[in-house]
Amino acid sequence: MTTMSRVPRLAVALTLALFVPFAARAELVIEITQGVDDPTPIAVVPFAGTGAIPEDLAGVVQADLARSGQFAPVDRGDMLSLPSSEAEIFYRDWRAIDTEYLLIGRASAGEELRIDYALYDVNRQREVTTGTVTGPVNEARMLAHRVSDAIYERLTGIPGAFATRLLYVSVTRNPGGKDYYRLTLADSDGARPIVLLESREPVMAPTWAPDASQVAYVSFETGRPAIFRQDLRTGAREQLTNFRGLNSSPAWSPDGNTLALVLSKDGSPDIYLLDLASKRLKRITRHYAIDTEPTWMPDGKSLLFTSDRGGRPQIYRYNLQSGITDRVTFEGVYNARARVAQDGRNVALVHQQDGQYHIAIHDLVTERLHVLTSTDLDESPSIAPNGSMVLYATKLGDRGILSAVSVDGGVKFRLPARSGDVREPAWSTYISQ
Amino acid sequence: MRQGSFKRLLTGLAFLAGPVCFGAQAQDYLDVEAERARSGSPTTAQPALARSYGLDSSAGPATVSRPPAPASNSEETIGNLFIQLQRLQQEVMQLNGKVEEQAYELRRLKEQSLERYLDLDRRLAGSGAPTSGNTGESTVIGMPDAGSGAEAAEQPGEGDAYRAAYARVRNQEFDAAVAAFKQFLERFPDGRYAPNAHYWLGELYLVLQPPDPEAARQSFMLLLDQYPGNSKEPDALYKLGRVHYIKGNRERSREFMDRVLRQYPDSSAAGLAGEFIDQNL
Repeated sequence: MTTMSRVPRLAVALTLALFVPFAARAELVIEITQGVDDPTPIAVVPFAGTGAIPEDLAGVVQADLARSGQFAPVDRGDMLSLPSSEAEIFYRDWRAIDTEYLLIGRASAGEELRIDYALYDVNRQREVTTGTVTGPVNEARMLAHRVSDAIYERLTGIPGAFATRLLYVSVTRNPGGKDYYRLTLADSDGARPIVLLESREPVMAPTWAPDASQVAYVSFETGRPAIFRQDLRTGAREQLTNFRGLNSSPAWSPDGNTLALVLSKDGSPDIYLLDLASKRLKRITRHYAIDTEPTWMPDGKSLLFTSDRGGRPQIYRYNLQSGITDRVTFEGVYNARARVAQDGRNVALVHQQDGQYHIAIHDLVTERLHVLTSTDLDESPSIAPNGSMVLYATKLGDRGILSAVSVDGGVKFRLPARSGDVREPAWSTYISQ
Repeated sequence: MRQGSFKRLLTGLAFLAGPVCFGAQAQDYLDVEAERARSGSPTTAQPALARSYGLDSSAGPATVSRPPAPASNSEETIGNLFIQLQRLQQEVMQLNGKVEEQAYELRRLKEQSLERYLDLDRRLAGSGAPTSGNTGESTVIGMPDAGSGAEAAEQPGEGDAYRAAYARVRNQEFDAAVAAFKQFLERFPDGRYAPNAHYWLGELYLVLQPPDPEAARQSFMLLLDQYPGNSKEPDALYKLGRVHYIKGNRERSREFMDRVLRQYPDSSAAGLAGEFIDQNL
């Protein structure tokens, strides 16, 4: 997809490398496995450009729209003309190849990169929308994703989630030696991977701060699990916990001030809140059962978590104001690791059905559960910030890969890594511009 | 032994054995458990286990109330208690799960029955409106309603007046109840609950001090004559049988009892009538 140099071979001796921004081709490859029945045909004409444009910007937009499953982009080879302004459009060229929408654009790179784009309705022969995005030249791909977001929202009514990023953990097996773990940050299409942390010890449970400027994760680099946070701009890292026993499942509160986490320092695993400014710790569950995997409701007033206090793992809700805990899921014998969509209604979770672990959506209003996937060993769901897709980890053969499914189950695509296992994806919130 | 206690930990953490995300946590959780195990968990799990299951029923409580055991046994006692505590925790968790699920089922059932009630209410309201609107011009549409016992529509204030009168029956204020039902029938002679009012008057005349069997007879007869097919008819027939028996007319009593058995053999009144015949006639 990109034309960047090959991944430099990693020095195996390096046990812990922080923030290694190695420009690399995408580590993840995207394969669309299922789209909607009747995707909308759209032609994304290569953008005209002046100056040194570092990317095939229209190509990025085209791939975004295709990946959504809701659009069927026209092959460039089928295009009879390549207009870049309204005057150059001959609608009959586009009607001839049965496309409904036409996107054209111009990019100019100087101190900044500027993209002007325009979307046309081929049948009505009129403009639908136009827009401009500007930003640093080295953020060319992100700018193209912002064009995709605008087009997607205009045509579907739902904000796009292309100009977002992913965190994931990849594990490279090292037969005869220790495996090594990498925490990677990539664009939502898997491009531009940046390794945030590399370690011979396990790295897990990566999560985003609500403004997407920081991440938190669990690292075993000190010999036991500890929670760290890391600033994405400065690379500054801070170890937040170092308690005896379990230190796991960090989850940032929507206001960014508090981290929910799981500690077992007082016995069995319980949920605690860590005030990030004062570093004061507050225990919020107190049960000899396992309470784990906290996640915040978008209003910040309650938390969902997994507990086996009823004999089997199910999702519970803890209300921070009343201190009351009530059970949320009742369908089946296993519901765990909830993540709530921004609408505060859809909860993605791991659900066991016939002995297999699938991703399901639990609707908090209707209290109905809807299984989305049919593969086994699906885990670690993470919902896109626009609530449209769920990214999760699963197995393909004996390899761990990332997969995505739309919340209605209609669209599916896979993001297998070129090598090694990938797991624990975390989809960012919207990146502030 | 070590394997045994490890297994126990795993069953205690059954769900950690699920997908890898949980598995990963199991890894560090077991670490904790290992520490806990080292710091004084029983290595004598097997015998303790057998006893805590109470093959000897006195063993459980005895463990608690027994005077301090010799030093060599105290570790085992603590071990026993530890195992028992774990078992109790497991059990409480399972019970907790059952309670949660039953509370949930109950809530769903309540919601469903409310929905059903609202649905029924809507349908009744829906079927009532068109018939009342049509009675003027179309007798055909009105016919089936007339057939089903000529049940009148409830009139404004009728329900409250009836319930007030009935409350007096329940409070055993029989004289006041008679007055209330009489008053009710004056206000709502064609009311929906008028047949019920006649029935209750009949019953009340029999429990007044002194009883008034003739007034009771009239009330029950009124119910039979004016509301043929009313749901209270089998009960009224049975009561008429009793009234005639009280009045000394065994023949008439037998007639009414037989009528209940013949016309309403499946009613509860038929059961009472059968019993009455066996005992008195």
